[in-house]
Amino acid sequence: MADLSNLAGLGSDPSGEIDSSASSANNRSLRLAEKEKRKGEADPFGLAVKYLSQVEAGTVVRGNDELERNMLVVETVALSKGLPSEVITVLLDLALSLNAGTGNCARVLKFLIPATVVPQEAIVKGVSWLCVGKMPMNAQVLFVRWVLTVFDLIDCKDNLRSIYGFIFSFVTEENLCPFICHLLYLLTMREHVHPYRVRKLLDIQAKMGRQPFLTQLLALYKVFRPDLVTLSLPSRVRTGFKNHNSTWKVALSAVQRKNKGAVLVDQSLSLDVKEKPSTRKRVRCHLCNTVKSLTEHTLNSNKKVFCLQELRSFRELLENIHNIELPAQMGSLLGSALALHYLDCVQDESASLRLNFWLGHSLQEEFLLCPVDGSSDNTSEACRFLSTILFSQQFLQEGFSSTESFLYKFLSVWDGCLLRPQILDLLSDIPLMPSFYMHKLLFEPLKQLYFTSTVFFKVCMVLLFFFLSVCLYQARAWPCVLPRTMTLSGFMDSVMELVRFVGLLASEGLRLENCHVLLLNQTLAFYETVCDMFLKYSLPLIIMPPAGVFYPALFATDSVSVDRLGYIMYRYRKNLTLAKKQEQQREQTFHISRNTYKEFNRNLQAMVNSMWNSWWCIPGSDIEIDKDLISLSKVPEPWCRFDLIHHPALFSYAIEFHQRCWPERKNVDLGSIKTGKYWNWYMEFLFNQGFDGLNNFIQTNTGHSSGLSSQDDRQPTSQP
Amino acid sequence: RYICCWYYPCSAVNTPASRPLTRRSKSYGRSCVEAPSYFWQTPGHLTVLKVPTSRGAAKSQLITNKVDPEHIALLVKNEWKLSYVTPLHHFRHTQLKSYSRHLAAFIAAENQQGVAVEVGLEAGFKVTFTAVLGLAETDEDAETVFIQIQSKPAFAAAADAPKVVWRGWLTCVNGDPEYLRSLPSDFVSLPLFCTSGSESLTTLVKTWFERAFDCNFGSLALNSTTLNWLAALWTGCHPTCNIRHLKLAWSLPTQPPLDVSYTVNPQDAWELWNSIHPEESTDDKIDIKEVQSFINGLETHFFRHFKIYLSAGTLVKVSTALGSAHLDGKIKIGNSDYITTLLTLLTESALLKMPT
Repeated sequence: MADLSNLAGLGSDPSGEIDSSASSANNRSLRLAEKEKRKGEADPFGLAVKYLSQVEAGTVVRGNDELERNMLVVETVALSKGLPSEVITVLLDLALSLNAGTGNCARVLKFLIPATVVPQEAIVKGVSWLCVGKMPMNAQVLFVRWVLTVFDLIDCKDNLRSIYGFIFSFVTEENLCPFICHLLYLLTMREHVHPYRVRKLLDIQAKMGRQPFLTQLLALYKVFRPDLVTLSLPSRVRTGFKNHNSTWKVALSAVQRKNKGAVLVDQSLSLDVKEKPSTRKRVRCHLCNTVKSLTEHTLNSNKKVFCLQELRSFRELLENIHNIELPAQMGSLLGSALALHYLDCVQDESASLRLNFWLGHSLQEEFLLCPVDGSSDNTSEACRFLSTILFSQQFLQEGFSSTESFLYKFLSVWDGCLLRPQILDLLSDIPLMPSFYMHKLLFEPLKQLYFTSTVFFKVCMVLLFFFLSVCLYQARAWPCVLPRTMTLSGFMDSVMELVRFVGLLASEGLRLENCHVLLLNQTLAFYETVCDMFLKYSLPLIIMPPAGVFYPALFATDSVSVDRLGYIMYRYRKNLTLAKKQEQQREQTFHISRNTYKEFNRNLQAMVNSMWNSWWCIPGSDIEIDKDLISLSKVPEPWCRFDLIHHPALFSYAIEFHQRCWPERKNVDLGSIKTGKYWNWYMEFLFNQGFDGLNNFIQTNTGHSSGLSSQDDRQPTSQP
Repeated sequence: RYICCWYYPCSAVNTPASRPLTRRSKSYGRSCVEAPSYFWQTPGHLTVLKVPTSRGAAKSQLITNKVDPEHIALLVKNEWKLSYVTPLHHFRHTQLKSYSRHLAAFIAAENQQGVAVEVGLEAGFKVTFTAVLGLAETDEDAETVFIQIQSKPAFAAAADAPKVVWRGWLTCVNGDPEYLRSLPSDFVSLPLFCTSGSESLTTLVKTWFERAFDCNFGSLALNSTTLNWLAALWTGCHPTCNIRHLKLAWSLPTQPPLDVSYTVNPQDAWELWNSIHPEESTDDKIDIKEVQSFINGLETHFFRHFKIYLSAGTLVKVSTALGSAHLDGKIKIGNSDYITTLLTLLTESALLKMPT
């Protein structure tokens, strides 16, 4: 009671602003000054509390006006502003000791609205009054209900937990039992669960039948000690406990609204369910099962262990990384970023295996052994499942082996349609493997799917593009990630095989689909990665696109494809030049074959000839066509049909340029663009349309620099 | 690729150096000691488990010399429904007593939803786990575990013996040694699970196992090749042990479906088999081709009489006095002396179902 005067000052604060924490020191000086100022002024609240704290046992209650008056003062303050924590201690003691009579006991409990926090010592003292056993039953119930209501406001709960046994003893009181069970539910830790307590609760269960509060508490006990008690919750069980806060709810929320910002209390205290019972009807639903292993926990029950599921933040994980307990079902961790972090760190072989077994089994049972019946519900669940796997794999930046081997099996039965986005994504996570396996497990089934499917699926070759970029991503760090059983040359072989395979698919696909624009663009996007393998990924590999891809792109009717091809050729040139230079400088271990250079030069020649030199079908090139045959087509000036002016992709630009230059001319004569300065203007006009790829290509290969400055005329590369 | 490698495990957990390196070389293409990553590592990855194309002839052995005859008697009389199980994590043969208590409590709790049951208190069900020692053939095989559930009705007279309502066993006989060796030591692989009893109890037992040992069950259907093997192997035993008959059942995909039951005189069957695989042949191994031609021989004979190509249908069931096996994964063991051959075949089928 030493600080009651201090309290009084606090309570009389005219602004009504109760300090957010009674013990806060930052406002102390301010308060002292204020107290100085108001010295001598009567403080009714402080005086009332002082009076109430001195009420002794045996005080006459009936007709005691002074008691009544003081009670009223405190009550008014309590309901409007809430009570500071010290006052709560005082009043709770007064009420439960029954010094002011049983009637006032209930009255005090009802207006015991904390402004900020409730000191746990007050509750401990309250429980000791409960043990004295003088209180009438309704007062006991009211007290426990009050504790439940303010539970989240109790400053600290360790002492409360240490008198767990005392609290537990009240479960035998029939009227108190529901509330005590709830309180125990909130307090229980693993060390509190003992065989004799379990037996007691089971006795009560036998007496009272299956009551939700008992079931909930027992379910929690089971979570902590599955070796002592077992229980299965029906699928539609009334979860949680009833609300007991009705008496205080309105006043409490009013006070809290007034003291907003102090402490936020969850109004739905009653549903503070720690463990979510899972439906576990299906394999995939047990993702959140928290049952602990039967065998081990008894050994380390003394050690403080953390369940992976209980961890909320990365910091918590770091702090407790040395005593983490894995769940009984590893499958429950799939999709939890923290758990995956942990698994990746500790590299517990068994844990990963368990996860892999579960995953492999689920995939196998769901997709291979039980045919999906196509109902939308089923598919959406499967879709969610695969998405979870994808999330985990992307998080780990590698695939699970069980998904991988599942995919190999699944590809042979897949219709190319079911869950396509997910399956394609999963495929892109497959790591690179020796070319023999790649052919057998991947290319064969994919080829079949590819050639028998719609153009859209073919466009989904994106997959292979992604796939490759992942491989290249790995390749970026290949000196350290290179698998032990895979030599560098084996690895290169695999990449080469992969690129060739995509080239084959693409050229056949383009032929089948009549050079579909989307497919062509996707293919070119793929080659945009391939052409830069040496420079960007330092992979000593340069693979040219096959003719089936090159020529459709060169003679494409859309300008985007042509521009992309220009860019690709430009990058190839850069890569080859650098490779050549390195090879000459020092004895390089790798050697780019003559054929690659030849191929490149042939393509380059074809491109430069058709676009720049207006002579697309030079005798001796890939696309030599008999002159008589061409003349049959009756196309005038057939050799310049694919130059920068007449190329079907650029034709419209030439027309537009012509119109701008000679707006008055009725007869379009595109040939006049080629004369004098108009040619340079046309180049500038063309490159201003955003054809950077073509621009680069023309600049590096012909030396033409759109009229800026004359560069030395470089010949197309013709080495070696 | 390995973004998470910034943190290295502290001393409390395994360090990479302490792990056996042997198993890594098996998974092709993806092993790396410096940046080990275990997510991809599943034993028996793709290349390890192969369907054998030849195997030894069935040999009679007096199993009762190795195994308690009482235990053998339990295995012989019932029809068993087969399942496969992924390796059991932290299963210990020394803990069977406590497993009995837990499973009993679990069944009781499941049967009265929402009522908690104390573990160890006998409530309606009595569960017994028994280790059937001696059935294992190699050092890698884990010992077979037999589970029996007895029900004790609440109002039964004291004299009434508890009734056995469910039986099941987990076994591994001649499991692929390379696969078994590749598992870490805290796993026990008992891939074959045989059950007999109500489906609901089977589900409960499976659920309990799945929760306790983080394993998964799937139903094990046999394939025609396995049935062909059994037909040949059992027929080969005729000289030493009368097989009484060779009964085969086919299902033909006609409209309406046609079921063919084909019973062969044991002596005739044996003579056919002997003409394909002479008894006195020096090589003890039987090749899958021999098995195939044996079945072809039987089919040809049938065609000669009934003008029906049995090869157009599927072999559904094989049965002799030594035992029977059905395509949908139901078996019966007729003679305990040849139990090893049967269980070897079934263990192999179960291991092939393992998710890799």
